[in-house]
Amino acid sequence: MTFGCPPGAHCVTCGDDATPMRVVRVDEERGLALCADADGTRRTVEIELVAPVAGGDEVLVHAGVALARSGPA
Amino acid sequence: MRFVDEFRDAELAGALAGEILAAVEPGHHYKVMEVCGGHTHSIYKYAIDDLLPENVELVHGPGCPVCVIPMGRVDDAIALACDNDVLFTCFGDMLRVPGSDGTLLDAKARGADVRMVYSPLDALRLAKANPEREVVFLAIGFETTAPSTALTLKRARLEGVANFSCLCNHVTILPPLRALLDSPDLRLDGFIGPGHVATVVGARPFEFIPAHYGKPLVVSGFEPLDILQSLVMILRQLQDGRCEVENQYSRVVPYEGNLRALEVLAEVFTLRPHFEWRGLGFISQSALRLSDAYADLDAEQRFAVPGVRVADPKACQCGEVLKGVIKPWECKVFGTACTPEHAIGTCMVSPEGACAAYYNYGRLARERELV
Repeated sequence: MTFGCPPGAHCVTCGDDATPMRVVRVDEERGLALCADADGTRRTVEIELVAPVAGGDEVLVHAGVALARSGPA
Repeated sequence: MRFVDEFRDAELAGALAGEILAAVEPGHHYKVMEVCGGHTHSIYKYAIDDLLPENVELVHGPGCPVCVIPMGRVDDAIALACDNDVLFTCFGDMLRVPGSDGTLLDAKARGADVRMVYSPLDALRLAKANPEREVVFLAIGFETTAPSTALTLKRARLEGVANFSCLCNHVTILPPLRALLDSPDLRLDGFIGPGHVATVVGARPFEFIPAHYGKPLVVSGFEPLDILQSLVMILRQLQDGRCEVENQYSRVVPYEGNLRALEVLAEVFTLRPHFEWRGLGFISQSALRLSDAYADLDAEQRFAVPGVRVADPKACQCGEVLKGVIKPWECKVFGTACTPEHAIGTCMVSPEGACAAYYNYGRLARERELV
């Protein structure tokens, strides 16, 4: 594990930055979804603010939370 | 991925650069502020500056949440991490932000249990995995990040996680913009509005900027074509004598924002009467604390926090950089005493800070300005 962002890296959590991710699987009971970014990296994402979503939807994720759907709903 | 690749097309970027050139009046010098650190980063990463005519200048705004945290708040975090045997968690950027006596990373080297997380939910997971430890999450960020903290606190309450608390440093974007616009030494023609803050608050809250200050604002996405198109929209407004809020990022940003997120924020947070911003001083109602209903999860209530105000280092000119009065390289210590590896000022710490972005990407742009 590295600590601190290396010079030139973009910290995806701290700033006003968000990552487009594709929903892979939804756990409706816990309000979470497994999502994949453009590189295929998967993360568990809180979906309460954009629910309901389904597999294949694209969402904008910031600090582990989907804030918006990308593209026309 | 959709909505990414097509917004980096070089041919379209060239066409938009042509539209920008066509929209400017020769002899008039345009100053446009990009409010958000994410935009600053994209501008340098994709060398967007180099596509602009010489009389269009981009000014970096106060929109990096790391850069605006005052030293006293960093000291509070370090004191909390060191003195209470807590498991202290924060985002990566905050680890290297200097307080008056070192950074959180230095505190970790001295034995404090400081861990980096990618989201507050990760911090909550640590609390559940370590029920015998007090786990504190250092929350920073604008309205983009605040919902993530709010949802985590709601989840902590719902799941009865008693050993979790939050040291809240969330800030809001509108009061510092108002403070900037009231500043007499600022001359700007328009604003590139913060796209991801707007996913939460919407575009409507920015309407006071054209209405009261007569400056156009275009809410913008973060890809190169987004930023170029937003500049075209701002310059066309100026050309047509219009002045309004426009939403370039409509593929993501609803004009009214995310109402569910706003509800969650209203439940969990309340405005602080005032908060100190690095370089900008105290700004009233510009930051959030936990609401009374969530006071038991507030680290400032649970632990003794020094809360001492510390003046910025004299050599550091982050304040002028944040206000767009000077360019990063005009600061006396830029690139010499202050580098990303050994930062004096916060603008050099976060990759989204204007100084770090200039240091990493902006050398060519600087050479051009010196010519």
